[in-house]
Amino acid sequence: MIRPAAPLLVTAYSMVHALGEGREQILDALANGRSGLGAPSPGSLAQPLGFETAVGEVRCELPELPAELVARSTRLARLGLHLVNGLEAPLARARERWRPERIALLLGTSTAGAATTERAYRRFVAEGTFPGAYDFRLQHTYGAVLDVLRALTGAQGPALMVSTACTSGAKPFATARRLMAADVIDAAIVGGIDTLCSLTLLGFHSLQALDRKPCRPFGAGRAGISIGEGGALALVERRGDARVLVEGVGETSDAYHISAPHPEGLGALSAMGAALLQAGVGSDAVDHINAHGTGTRLNDSAEAKAIAALFGTRVPVVSTKGYTGHTLGAAGAIEFAFSALAVEEGWIPPSLGAEPKDEDIAVFVPTVRTEGRFRRVLSNSFAFGGNNVSLLVGAP
Amino acid sequence: MSAPSRSPSVAVLGLGLWLPGYPSLGAWRGGAADPSAQKPVGEALGRMHRRRAGPLGRAVADAAAEAMGTAEPGLGSVATVVGSSIGEAATLVSLLDQMWRGTEPMSPADFTVSVHNAASGVLSIATGNRGFTTSIAADHDTPAAALYEGLGLVLTGSGPVLVLCADEGAPEALLTGDEAWTIAAAGVLLGAADSETPHLGHLHLLPAGSDVPSLEPAALERGTVLNPQVGLVDLVLHLAAGRRGAVRLDRGRGRGFVAVIE
Repeated sequence: MIRPAAPLLVTAYSMVHALGEGREQILDALANGRSGLGAPSPGSLAQPLGFETAVGEVRCELPELPAELVARSTRLARLGLHLVNGLEAPLARARERWRPERIALLLGTSTAGAATTERAYRRFVAEGTFPGAYDFRLQHTYGAVLDVLRALTGAQGPALMVSTACTSGAKPFATARRLMAADVIDAAIVGGIDTLCSLTLLGFHSLQALDRKPCRPFGAGRAGISIGEGGALALVERRGDARVLVEGVGETSDAYHISAPHPEGLGALSAMGAALLQAGVGSDAVDHINAHGTGTRLNDSAEAKAIAALFGTRVPVVSTKGYTGHTLGAAGAIEFAFSALAVEEGWIPPSLGAEPKDEDIAVFVPTVRTEGRFRRVLSNSFAFGGNNVSLLVGAP
Repeated sequence: MSAPSRSPSVAVLGLGLWLPGYPSLGAWRGGAADPSAQKPVGEALGRMHRRRAGPLGRAVADAAAEAMGTAEPGLGSVATVVGSSIGEAATLVSLLDQMWRGTEPMSPADFTVSVHNAASGVLSIATGNRGFTTSIAADHDTPAAALYEGLGLVLTGSGPVLVLCADEGAPEALLTGDEAWTIAAAGVLLGAADSETPHLGHLHLLPAGSDVPSLEPAALERGTVLNPQVGLVDLVLHLAAGRRGAVRLDRGRGRGFVAVIE
């Protein structure tokens, strides 16, 4: 049973990815259809790949952790610090407003500290010992980065890391909504973060799922994904001045295949339907869809079928992965942030890579910047394991 | 004015367990360990899907099947929360060996089941469950995190929720000596506090750092005590014994969340 419930109030959010760190820098890239994808920079990966692919790398300088946390310093943790810094003032207000044990930390990641471990493991294989500074518990586990962000934010309520592959960054919004509705918390820091690592790139390459060129979601020539890194955090509160709302979240499973979507997009369809049902609105209330849109032939085809079944061809569908790459465990959070930008700014970016269009994709994919009144935006995330999440982001 | 810090209550409708030597709660109650029961079977996954599942996925499936029992709505549609501190770490190590030792190319099959949610995904595929599932981690606070997630689902009307916590044996390359643990899995089926289904008790959660007198933890093998999921094992064993009182969910290694059996 899914009951319409009070929407989640998002009072602040921050993001970092291949398009940059600041809102203006990101908006400028989106408005001008400028991708952040490119060749991996020297030294960014533990192992040279031996094949051509584009990545969405965070190229800004990341801050170092404070001295008391430096033993836990990883690229993932430093990305987290960067995002927390972007919420400094609203977090300070939230700490004054709510008791610390009523502020939760609900995050998502798929890789956790794999980027650190793969470098340390190289030494282990070569020399039989790990680097002296390496500590699996402090630098790799899913809980390790939670501890860092708890210390940085002062949140003392329930803390958890969702790891459902590419839906990891979207599901924490649903957890926050439930814990708030159940009166367990008053506020939460939610989102997702992931870093590039060789292991992930080699894994997707082994599945023949990487495009040699920057990914081309919904395009006729699409040939796979481009991997990216980054993250986004949102502050959600029981009361406050909301910038946007999360009005509904649908969470379903395909029960079909561990790494391939249901070909008709049945799980995606049920997730989108559940998000609308939870919000108590019909499909005609949705003005825009930020698609999962990875650029693989199977995903885009299945997702387009599901969208067409529920929305027809009326709603503009954009994949932002042509800008950032597929940021895996961070994608759901970053694409929440892109959805929030659409609601706040009143325009949506061109869907990069969608031209020339695939005639079998029977949804409306705009390839130019589109002005409009985007009061409700649906953001889709789908994952290995057949895991599906759809967030309905709305104007306050 | 904020509400009190204790959570609302939920009912416990079923229990499941998998420990080395004790492949079910029933076996634990029987007393004597079965030395041959060192690997979980994953019967509920069926032959085809069992091949995809590692020890973690099989232990989760065994605990799930026992906790669900014959209760409605069954494994094919119950919401599931799977908690694990390190997930499929053995598969990660295997991939790192493939990557750095260069003896074989990276296996796409290994890669697809290296994700933390492989256990929950395979269970949903094997049982045809198209509903809610999630996979979460919080080191030694994973049992508390999983219970909070389950409680949130029950309290917002999702119906019964199966909370399963498991960690496979710590990979020797990454955690050695005093830190290493052995495989363990436990599960509780939660339902609404006013559920008419026969139940084993009610429970609520207390926040981190709660300083309350706790029930004496069960006597367990050292390898199980070090497993990050031991808190849920303790809770299951206390519930099975009909005890009432507070259960620390981390054996002193986490932030001190407590479940109180009412």
